[in-house]
Amino acid sequence: MRIGVYICHCGINIKATVDVAQLSTFAEKLPYVKVARDYLYMCSDPGQNLIKKDIEEFKLDRVVVVACSPRMHELTFRKVLESAGLNRYLFEMANIREQCSWVHQDKKSATKKAHSLLAASVHKVALLEPLTEKEVSVTPTVLVIGGGIAGIQAALDIADAGYKVYLVEKDPTIGGHMIQLDKTFPTLDCSACILTPKMSEVGNHPNIEIISYAEVADVKGYVGNFEITVRKKTRYIDETKCNACGLCVSYCPIETPNPYNLNLSKMKSIYIPYAQAVPACYVIDPESCRYLLKKECRQCEQVCQGLKAIDFKQKEQAITIQVGAIIVATGFDTFDPKGKPEFGYALYPNVITGLEFERLVNSSGPTMGEIVIQGKKPKDVVFIQCVGSRDKTVGNEYCSRVCCMYTAKQAHLVKEKIPHANLTIFYMDVRAFGKGFEEFYNRVKMEGVKYRRGNPSEIYKKGDKLIVKAEDTLLGELVEVEADLVVLAVGLVPSKSTEEVIKLLKLSRSPDQFLLEAHPKLRPVDTASDGIFLAGCCQGPKDIPDTVAQASGAASKALILISHEKVKTEAQTSIVNESLCRGCGFCVAVCPYGAIEPKMIEKAGEVTKVASVNDALCKGCGMCVPTCFSGAIQQKSFTDNQLLSMLSVLGEKNVSF
Amino acid sequence: MSHFEPTIIAFLCNWCSYAGADLSGTSRYKYPANIKALRVMCSGRVNPLMIVQAFRAGADGVVISGCHPGDCHYSQGNYFTRRRFILFRKFLEFLGIDPERVVLSWVSASEGKRFADLMEELTDKIRNLGPLKNFTPLETEARGEINDS
Amino acid sequence: MNLFSLKEAAKQALSQTEVNFVIGYTKGSYGFRVAPFFAQNEAEVEKLFFSPLCDLSLVNYLSLEKNTPLEKFGKSPEQKIGIFVRGCDSRAINQILSEKGIIREELIIIGIPCHGVIDIKKLEARFPGVLDQARAEEEDGKYTICFGDKSFAIKKEDILSDKCKHCAYPTPLIYDLLIDGKVEGKDDRYEDIKPQEEATLGEKEEFWKNEFSRCIRCYACRNACPLCYCENCILERLSPQWVKRSVNPTENVIYHLSRAFHLAGRCAGCGECERVCPVNLPLMLLNRKLEKDVKSLFNFTPGIDSEQKQFLTTYDLKDSEEFIL
Repeated sequence: MRIGVYICHCGINIKATVDVAQLSTFAEKLPYVKVARDYLYMCSDPGQNLIKKDIEEFKLDRVVVVACSPRMHELTFRKVLESAGLNRYLFEMANIREQCSWVHQDKKSATKKAHSLLAASVHKVALLEPLTEKEVSVTPTVLVIGGGIAGIQAALDIADAGYKVYLVEKDPTIGGHMIQLDKTFPTLDCSACILTPKMSEVGNHPNIEIISYAEVADVKGYVGNFEITVRKKTRYIDETKCNACGLCVSYCPIETPNPYNLNLSKMKSIYIPYAQAVPACYVIDPESCRYLLKKECRQCEQVCQGLKAIDFKQKEQAITIQVGAIIVATGFDTFDPKGKPEFGYALYPNVITGLEFERLVNSSGPTMGEIVIQGKKPKDVVFIQCVGSRDKTVGNEYCSRVCCMYTAKQAHLVKEKIPHANLTIFYMDVRAFGKGFEEFYNRVKMEGVKYRRGNPSEIYKKGDKLIVKAEDTLLGELVEVEADLVVLAVGLVPSKSTEEVIKLLKLSRSPDQFLLEAHPKLRPVDTASDGIFLAGCCQGPKDIPDTVAQASGAASKALILISHEKVKTEAQTSIVNESLCRGCGFCVAVCPYGAIEPKMIEKAGEVTKVASVNDALCKGCGMCVPTCFSGAIQQKSFTDNQLLSMLSVLGEKNVSF
Repeated sequence: MSHFEPTIIAFLCNWCSYAGADLSGTSRYKYPANIKALRVMCSGRVNPLMIVQAFRAGADGVVISGCHPGDCHYSQGNYFTRRRFILFRKFLEFLGIDPERVVLSWVSASEGKRFADLMEELTDKIRNLGPLKNFTPLETEARGEINDS
Repeated sequence: MNLFSLKEAAKQALSQTEVNFVIGYTKGSYGFRVAPFFAQNEAEVEKLFFSPLCDLSLVNYLSLEKNTPLEKFGKSPEQKIGIFVRGCDSRAINQILSEKGIIREELIIIGIPCHGVIDIKKLEARFPGVLDQARAEEEDGKYTICFGDKSFAIKKEDILSDKCKHCAYPTPLIYDLLIDGKVEGKDDRYEDIKPQEEATLGEKEEFWKNEFSRCIRCYACRNACPLCYCENCILERLSPQWVKRSVNPTENVIYHLSRAFHLAGRCAGCGECERVCPVNLPLMLLNRKLEKDVKSLFNFTPGIDSEQKQFLTTYDLKDSEEFIL
């Protein structure tokens, strides 16, 4: 064991407070220390060369630098060791600047502390082992889970960069919720008009493979090397043959509620979600099709004689794909207002959600764009904001960000179609924070929409009108407003598929239940798991421009990863001493990355279970170590031995300096 | 009689507390030299039994400092630290060891001043408590002898 | 206690081909002593019994099974073991099962709802030097102790084991066969540790200094504990060395503190540690304190379910932030 100790003056930053010469003399006397020097600037070229020369001349096998914070220059000095032929992990740094000379005024006590920190580092470095990072190859493809606008944008960006993308979507078509919207705030662009060209681009892009009507069933592997199993549900129609002519529809005898119109209208059992669907292929609904339920009919099959696209023998498929990175874009669901029974959503057909309103006002919706409820155009329309948001009683304390603006837009659309309608919007606060939002809000107010501040407590029926009861807090009086139509501005909640993806990918959630990003400010599209990124509302409620921006961000992160052939993994990982391990699984349970797995080995003539660490997944946090009663699992460079030896020195009062 | 100066060992997590302590230094805030830091990657690495080892080694006080709940760089290490620590502190008290000598704090990378203030307060507090008498440090290994390998 | 059902249960277990022996109790060689017994056939089953004198736990043998002394009974991969289990024993087994220390399929658990066991030390203090094999029976809150030609009636609470006075789980929570009817558990308020908790810091320090100065580090507590079954106990290891070998108050405290903390959220309250201590250290005080805190702070009780998650490998976002700066 031959240790070299290098004490930095850092100009006067350290030297003015800590007696560096004394430190040097002290270091020389420590066991195994072959050379101890102090120098003006260890991180400078001459300083680094000093170390390099000594490594050669004194055949040093360990180095300690006593200077600034390792967060500053650990990497610098590791490179020095490497260039001198030593393993870069046989290095330790003692912080006597940021945590000593810069924070202590008394020179004597600062110098004494510096001695202690130096000795502790020497103790630790003597116990360090050489380590190597592993390199794993990267599959240059990306999986995007979710074909809404977030998934579409991310897929296009990656595909345009020249890489292959698998876009998995649970519905028979991509488009998500955006395709259900009418005009979007604040510019009043027609949602479908701006989305469908992008959908078409995705459908035609040579680098994008859409796997529609499918769900991710299993995820194995780690960053750069994910193995994904996708479960493709049966359409009973051959995607390569169907040309979406629609002839089968007129012959299908069964009608069933149309989920794309939120069950406000009916569709046939054989259907395409909407005209602009991508892929443009029909689907047979297994819950209503007469043949699939009762083995009668098959009219559609007969009619499709020319193309023979219908295949009742089609089976569910399991598709396996290899990808290097995953982007989660599983979007949102709207809050179910049955959770607020006082609004009577389940009771009154003229109490609807904001999304249902979008379908009503949309020209491809159940009423062809006429705002008609119970056969009539409504005269009095009331909007209620913050339904399911900013509400602790339903467990959603957060603000859903888009509702104030979409309500203003919806009020504007009603005014446009029914100019003499009486519109009231009950609100708590109006959040018009984005580009063009405040201006749009003012415009809507100018159109005669009444904003009343207060949260309604109840909706009840009186004759053929609904009465919305609320306290107008600005006037300080109770009001009862008549309504023919009540629109609940429902908030956004994580979609059901987000819940499933969390289990598969072992992702974490923020307190608001949306997916947790790696850092709230600096890493909003990364997750704690390397290689998995977030885009869109699955990470938190947001509108379309923010979604598109975030999707491009996630795409860029994924591209950074897959544009390299190899990726390095953490070296200071945990390792299991199999002879000590009793296979209890405590470490497995605490690992946030699922990096520890049970493994069967032969021990003392028996096949037994022990823990095993996957170096590619382990991030070197060490939280597994205290869970092991036998000390079988240890974190390299932070073993119990190393830390305890440091403690024995740091606590010593009797060491004379 | 010489004036008693406590020895306080601080386990600091690399991503938050150690960075916060570094920021104290960069900002030139001052705190006493009684605090000696031991860097770990995550506060979850700290085994509560190490607190006792620190005491036996001569420390009069121990600090474990990590990221604020919800901010852990490894997503959940500090939750485990919290659970272990709360239980251990009560247990130490039951055994007659003053729980005020063991501190768990959450210090983020941006809380330089707060770290300095906390260390100042803690040093004062432990100085007033006096030297820890529950553990007689073993005759320390001759200065410079390396412990087990 | 229906001894007949107990023996029938043991015979039933032995009748299965994979079962080589049933671990139960038999009368000890003298006085109030009771010994563990490995009955290998129907004839040996006759030696098995159960009475309030059966104060020891047999669960340790399940873990020791791996070691040599029991190898002589022959071992096959499908081997099963029958074992007598009281309430606290069943919790120990549940906890070990949840830690994958043993496999459920390897056990035939004969559950004995327990009315409490006698503290043999208290009995021997009352009747020192008894050599005739004694008997004990319980009825109506009284024990009848017989040895030689003498018979004595003693109030139950006078010689009942301290650990049984607050037992909340006297009926086994896991079993294949249950002998007799279930017994109601008590409402445990942890009154036994209250005086200790309410002492001043100085008093506490003094108390434990006196107690641990008697410890001779014989490791009997660790050996007797059913949940101390690590093949490589950290209290013995040299690298890293958590406890130094020297027997002095400092190392003794570290030994007991470390062992007790390793049992936090795992201890089944069987009291074996205190029972076997040759110098009568009040070790259960430590375990009871941790048990109480784990329950009140984290709402967790070990050994209730063999599939339970572990308390130290889980967390709650709402865990206490008391005393955190």
